[in-house]
Amino acid sequence: MEQRETAGALPKADVESLYENAACGLLVTSTDGVILRVNHTFCAWVGREAQELLGRVKVQDLLSMGGRIFHQTHWTPLLAMQGSVAEVKLDVLHRDGRPLPMVFNAVRRSSANGTWHELAVFLAHDRHKYEKELLLERKRAEELLARHQEAQRALAVAQEERDRQKTVAEDRALFAEQMMAIVSHDLRNPLSVIRMSAHLIGMGELSSNQLRALGRLSASTLRAARLIADLLDFTQARLGNGLQVQLEPIDLHALVAESVEDLRLAFEGRSIVHQQRGRGACVASSDRLVQMVGNLVANAITYGAPDKPVVVTSAINDGTFSIAVGNEGPVIAAELLPHLFDPMTRGKGTQEGAHSVGLGLFIVREIARAHRGMVTVASANGATTFTALLPRAAETAA
Amino acid sequence: MDVRRRNNVHVMGEGPATMMFAHGFGCDQNMWRLMTPSFQDRFRIVLFDLVGSGLSDLAAYDRAKYDTLQGHADDVLEIAEQFATGPVVFVGHSVSAMIGMLADLEAPGRFAAQVMIGPSPCYINDGAYVGGFTRSDIDALLETLESNYLGWSSTMAPAIMGAPDQPALGAELTNSFCRTDPEIAKHFARVTFLSDSRADLHRLQTPTLILQCSDDLIAPRAVGEYMCRALPRATLRVVENVGHCPHLSAPCASTSAINEFLGLVSD
Repeated sequence: MEQRETAGALPKADVESLYENAACGLLVTSTDGVILRVNHTFCAWVGREAQELLGRVKVQDLLSMGGRIFHQTHWTPLLAMQGSVAEVKLDVLHRDGRPLPMVFNAVRRSSANGTWHELAVFLAHDRHKYEKELLLERKRAEELLARHQEAQRALAVAQEERDRQKTVAEDRALFAEQMMAIVSHDLRNPLSVIRMSAHLIGMGELSSNQLRALGRLSASTLRAARLIADLLDFTQARLGNGLQVQLEPIDLHALVAESVEDLRLAFEGRSIVHQQRGRGACVASSDRLVQMVGNLVANAITYGAPDKPVVVTSAINDGTFSIAVGNEGPVIAAELLPHLFDPMTRGKGTQEGAHSVGLGLFIVREIARAHRGMVTVASANGATTFTALLPRAAETAA
Repeated sequence: MDVRRRNNVHVMGEGPATMMFAHGFGCDQNMWRLMTPSFQDRFRIVLFDLVGSGLSDLAAYDRAKYDTLQGHADDVLEIAEQFATGPVVFVGHSVSAMIGMLADLEAPGRFAAQVMIGPSPCYINDGAYVGGFTRSDIDALLETLESNYLGWSSTMAPAIMGAPDQPALGAELTNSFCRTDPEIAKHFARVTFLSDSRADLHRLQTPTLILQCSDDLIAPRAVGEYMCRALPRATLRVVENVGHCPHLSAPCASTSAINEFLGLVSD
């Protein structure tokens, strides 16, 4: 009621102006779409005179082709079925061909005189631009997703291939190490035959040349035996659960002295000094300690200055004992130090080292670990010393 | 497979024969509301929504299956099998006319008659053939679909649709008859408007009525005439109507044309 009074209060001219210049396009069409009335706002938007539209042009004729199809498949049936459509966005073509995005509301009216459609139309430039942005963003997101999924698939394939190659490599490495263990083990028998035979020959009458040759034979056999022992230990440490040690009470100084004596024979012409400090009972694997001393001395002989003595120090302290082997000569390069005890690490030897497969120090570390001890190295000012520090009453590593 | 739920099948009316009504691209089975009253006292009426439209089961919209009209044609045969009794008249609007033909060709004898309202075997111009559209027109339609969701939203409960008798601008159900998942609508639009069934026309042996509108943008008269020439047993009837939906805008003329045709067929 109130609304009618307000409208009634407006002069007719103002009502007419409100229609013509409304803030939206206003049209009346027949049910076919033929334009029966159109306001000035709409005409101005599409760049046409009312006279050229009225009674001749259908509203759908002003739409883009996409809009015309949509008008037929959605707008018309909707208007027929529910009497109205709302918020349909279609492109209206300006006289010059420009598409103008517009939002349509339409409602069907009937009276005794017949049925007609009333349309309200709004320009939607900004909404259109916003939609374009959204669509663009969605498309980009979809592309990114597709690319991401593609990358994931490629990654999965690559990982599968890498895992496969890794398995192959591991199998090969395992096979090689097993081969090495078998060969090393089998070499021990012929080698002990050689050693025993050399010993027998040495019991007979020999010329000085023969004696020298026999000395070299003994030394070489010893080195070969040690190398094989290292290889076996290496494979045991790598393939098994670390080195096994048999603990027993030992006389440390006597054990080291005996080892040094043997080593003097093996490295004829080199000076090996043995120093002893402290007294007391120790528990360890005597075989392993001999092996450790042998490896450290061989290392010192290989890398140390030939004219300087190798100094072996056995020391017994409160809870620990230690075996240190020092030599003079070039120090170990700093970049080598972190990997010194890794298998297959080799320094630049001054002599040809029959014993330099690079397992010696690895074995030394494994022996120390098996005794729950540790090995350290100090290399500076022209001197290098390896020190194995072990508990006097060792419990074996599990 | 619950066909009733998948295609939102509704059965009404009584009669010794069945009329199946299939809506076209854009809306749903509500399109037939002005026409069914004049048939339901004589026929069993089967209404349904194409999968992807109306209140069909959107989850059943398998892109691969519905990538051609044949997917919908297979559904039509399943619906006919389950819900039709006696001879079946298939009434297909627009794209569903071709869906009905494909179903017919797959099961010859299944349908006693075909009524095609505003059919087109091919919407795109091709050499001498005038379908009415170019490929870029169809792309423009896809763009238009993109900015018209018509009340659809992915979070909406799909079960609130009804049939309000009173037009209510701004009411909750506005635009509901054309409400579809926009992605499905685009896919269906592509399948519809890029389909080409011209090569199959000559194989249809079922009596066929082509209900052609006098002024139809989607199916111009030349297309109806082409179909009439190509179909072996077709009758062409032109209804005075502007637009593509004579069953909504000229229901009386459409109904009488169909009645006349059915009278001829049953004789």
